[in-house]
Amino acid sequence: MRATTPPSAEQPAVRPQPGVPTVATGVGAAVVLVGTRVALWLGVQLGLAGLLVLAGVTATGGQVLDRMAGWWMVYAALVDLGTLAVIGWLLRRDHGSYRGLLGPPTTAWQVALGAVGVLAASVPAVVFSAELTGAVYGQATPPMFAVVEVPPLASVLGVLVVPLLAELAEPVAYLGVVLPRLEERLGRPWLAATIVVVVWAAEHACYPLLTSGGGVDLEFAAYRAGSVLPFLATWTALYYALGRRLLPIMAARWVFNGATAAALALGLVG
Amino acid sequence: MHDRILYRLTWLAAAMSLGHHLDHLIRHNAVGWPLTDQVNAFTLSLLVYPIIITGLLAYRAGRVGPGFWALVSGGGAGFVSAVHFGPAAVEPPELILDHYQPPVLGWLAFGWLVTFVTVLAVTSVYETRLWWQQRQAQRVTRPPTGVGIPR
Repeated sequence: MRATTPPSAEQPAVRPQPGVPTVATGVGAAVVLVGTRVALWLGVQLGLAGLLVLAGVTATGGQVLDRMAGWWMVYAALVDLGTLAVIGWLLRRDHGSYRGLLGPPTTAWQVALGAVGVLAASVPAVVFSAELTGAVYGQATPPMFAVVEVPPLASVLGVLVVPLLAELAEPVAYLGVVLPRLEERLGRPWLAATIVVVVWAAEHACYPLLTSGGGVDLEFAAYRAGSVLPFLATWTALYYALGRRLLPIMAARWVFNGATAAALALGLVG
Repeated sequence: MHDRILYRLTWLAAAMSLGHHLDHLIRHNAVGWPLTDQVNAFTLSLLVYPIIITGLLAYRAGRVGPGFWALVSGGGAGFVSAVHFGPAAVEPPELILDHYQPPVLGWLAFGWLVTFVTVLAVTSVYETRLWWQQRQAQRVTRPPTGVGIPR
């Protein structure tokens, strides 16, 4: 077991701790990373929809967007690969390491125990999200799950590969790269954390893009951001509570998202 | 050695608990003694205040540490979750959401409850880490006993 130096009891948990590299670059890197993710979400969906329109598969742009939405849990891999590429570029530029973004050393059993704590602490978010879904869509399956329709091979990819890629990219981008840079710029960790949670939730409004009444379904986009907000707030708070250790959060998210993808693939949702 | 963040989180959780009890008072459903003559989960939940006051005094005196607070916060999160979110919940979310006009107030009260339980759970995780770190620190600083001492 690797020992970690405990921080002083008087030291706020939000200060950089031993084992965590100090931020080398400014908030520009954070903007590039978030901008890349949003641009990739929109670009991939619109690009694939455009290809289908060109191929004459469906008549209108709206129809083709809705049809493409069925694949969102698969093409998410492209967004996460793009995110990893930007993280890699930033690390090379700043002479940092990917492991350094994950926080202080964490043993396997600490990751496992921490992940159980993260899953337990996520229960209120699950309840809130379920109530919100019930209020907006009643007994119906929420649209982001209802639209998913892919062949078996793509389902396997969506269960085995995509959730893993998502954990390597998404929380590392927001909590490992964006948050420390905002903290350094703003000097107020609570404000930086609030901005990260809001921006992170807003990103979810970009996928899947669904249409309603000839335009983008804004009600669904708002629901999507609102339903993930408590999860993201919980995980960001836990990031601090765990002494900036990302691995337990990544492990818990992987279990959560992987189980959701598996349930969808097996037809257990809806 | 007292942890400032632990104090802050404890006060935050106590304030959120008070707010949730206030929500019970406003709705006047799922309440018990001393508001009615029935002793129920509401009555039991009021025990948290003497526990917090006693715990703060004991923590200040060095009698209890973060391990105690991890149990209090974790136990609180478990209790409130079971009462409100569990499969056999005595006060499910509908009892909050459907008892306010306009409905947005119900969502505010429900959001408060969700945040309250999350604060308790996150606080418990933080206190568990603090407890573990203190244990590790004590193990490192404890002088060796007997082993290797030349006779």
